[in-house]
Amino acid sequence: MFAFCLVWNLVQVVLLQTGQEEKARQITSDGSFKSHLSWSPDGKKLLFTRIHKGKMELCTVEPLQGSKVESLVQPPPNTPHFDGSWSLDAKQIAYVHDILQGTDGKLQINMVNADGTQPKIIIPHKAFEESPRFTPDGQNLVWVSTRDGNQEIYSFEINSAKVTRLTQSPGFDNNPNVRKDGQRVVFSSSRYGNFEILSMKMDGSDVKRLTNHGSLDVWPAFSPDGGKIAFTSNRTGNYNIFVMDENGGNLAQITNNQGVNNFAAWGPSGEEIAYISNKNGAYEVYIHSLRK
Amino acid sequence: MLTLGAKTSIPVSRRGAIQIGASAVLGMSWDRLLAQEPNGPAKSVIFLWLWGGPSQLDTFDPKPNAPSEFRSPFAIIPTKLPGVHFTELFPMLAQRSDHFSLLRSMHTQSNDHGVAGTIGLTGSIAGAVGLDGKPRPGQARPTLGSTVAKVRKMQGGLPSFLVVGGKLHQGKKPIIGEYSGFLGASCDPFRLEFDEEKGTRVNALDLGQGLTPERLDDRQKLAGALDDIERKLQKGSTPWTEQMQQAYALLLRPESRKMFDLGQESPAMRDRYGRTRFGQSCLLARRLVEKKVPFVQVNWSDHVEAEEDAGDGGWDHHYRNFQIMVDRHGPWLDRSISTLLDDLRDRGLLESTLVVAVGEFGRTPKINEKAGRDHWEHCYCALVAGGGIKPGRVIGTSDSRAERPAERPLTPADLGATIHQALGITSEQSQSFGLATGGEVIGELF
Repeated sequence: MFAFCLVWNLVQVVLLQTGQEEKARQITSDGSFKSHLSWSPDGKKLLFTRIHKGKMELCTVEPLQGSKVESLVQPPPNTPHFDGSWSLDAKQIAYVHDILQGTDGKLQINMVNADGTQPKIIIPHKAFEESPRFTPDGQNLVWVSTRDGNQEIYSFEINSAKVTRLTQSPGFDNNPNVRKDGQRVVFSSSRYGNFEILSMKMDGSDVKRLTNHGSLDVWPAFSPDGGKIAFTSNRTGNYNIFVMDENGGNLAQITNNQGVNNFAAWGPSGEEIAYISNKNGAYEVYIHSLRK
Repeated sequence: MLTLGAKTSIPVSRRGAIQIGASAVLGMSWDRLLAQEPNGPAKSVIFLWLWGGPSQLDTFDPKPNAPSEFRSPFAIIPTKLPGVHFTELFPMLAQRSDHFSLLRSMHTQSNDHGVAGTIGLTGSIAGAVGLDGKPRPGQARPTLGSTVAKVRKMQGGLPSFLVVGGKLHQGKKPIIGEYSGFLGASCDPFRLEFDEEKGTRVNALDLGQGLTPERLDDRQKLAGALDDIERKLQKGSTPWTEQMQQAYALLLRPESRKMFDLGQESPAMRDRYGRTRFGQSCLLARRLVEKKVPFVQVNWSDHVEAEEDAGDGGWDHHYRNFQIMVDRHGPWLDRSISTLLDDLRDRGLLESTLVVAVGEFGRTPKINEKAGRDHWEHCYCALVAGGGIKPGRVIGTSDSRAERPAERPLTPADLGATIHQALGITSEQSQSFGLATGGEVIGELF
């Protein structure tokens, strides 16, 4: 096993050396902290969380340079909204709705129309509910909850409210992302000691470890064709965006700067990856083209 | 006639106000306004208050061999000190570990933010009020910055103690121990805030019209701002406080207005500190100590909570601890403190500036059922650098789960006594002013 890890790390280093500084275009420039990026399947909008004027809110921006950042929902005081994701038809957004109470918060999963209207509770607060992700048919949400005493990944059938637990591990299982064919979920897990990228079938079976590195690997995202996975890793010392095949092979470094590069989101064509970076100072949205 | 330190609502004409402020400062060179020559190696202190209480295990005292329900899910990385590791979220600080020292055996007396906050800021539990609403026996002691301000007066009515950040609170309850206590209003903190849109705000003066000190270079704008304030004074609704007098004294000097103006820094320098409220506040603190302000406190946040309406959000990570550490607090803290240390060193200021980064307590070694860690008063870390402190040392150790100090237990009072020592505040001064923290100087740091 040790020998395998050694060889694998060597392969990764060689691959990293081929990485070039990205040619990315900057989309936002408002200077506020941003996180949790999600690209609408129709390609028209980028959704993200922004901390702005003391509020944590969901915002959208068109994937064009200089586009105006718009608030999706104006959260009432002490109710941060964050970590949203699109339905496949780009008509709905699921997100975390936090109600701060005293020194704690009550996290629940809400859904809202893509124009910010008709917010409603989908998964009521039972524990700490996070990272809702639609399945392609729009019938289920995969999300993270601490309802069994630890962060695990679950699926929620929207019509019946049926909950199915997908992971069973003493580590933290989080950051889920559903493949567009609805067959697999990729996620982060600390079950091996530090955060690695894993994937599993939609029923929680056939768990595969995709990264094996003594550093942080988080926020994985399937490409639209399901063949690639983008993720964040600090294996270079700071956070950079990487892409690998869905089986963990063929690793390539996408960003190559000294900033924090995080929250990769694929464009619908699979030829672009959006991410959030502070490489030029503030945390802004960038789009990197994979076209040669 | 106005009296220093007294609160009055006597209407003051603009001319009068200008004279009041100006009489204190005009005609005096900046050098004459500086604090008296310090006796200790530290001429200034930057006190970075990590409100909410960072986890010792997820930052600077990881325990990779602890059981899984205790240990951090973050990998450990080597530092420049043999055998000393940090978590992987702090690579920049790990590379600079020979520039600061670490206290790994801090402990305090309460796991209530309010009470521990009072202890952390004053060195004493006296007068503290927690969530139970019950005051602890005794009168609240002066906060650390006020004790320094008592001994190290800036001349001309300029404040010796500045806080960058809003008033501290948990829930809606303010924290006891942010002020000067029995030392009087002249030692109260003068408060600034960094606002991502407006720049530096002076809370003592509502300048109106979105004006900030750096935007008052135009004499017309300055006159307009003073007119506004005069009108409020004449209405009697705004008392003429020592804080306002200090603010006038500052505003009337272009040099002090520039001191607040982060626009004087290159964009690259501002980027290096991080475009977060804490990062920019650290940069502001550097600008202040460059002008020899004796004590600058930077509050990470106003409220303890991570998701609160308070800038960067506090360190009270009962839930989502690990996600927040990955996405926000880890990289932010790593960058801001690293850059502050680099910047001070590059300017030849680190030897004369004591930098302290600490919260009011640590967090539970055992991970809770919400992917978070709760309050833990029994063991936490502090980072100290510059100001004559010997770098590259780890003072104190914790046990195998970072639950309790194993060797050399240290308290906030000890840290306070050490700050006094670095500044050259003698025990005689401490005694005569009633400032003694009751702690012992951490001698290994000198």
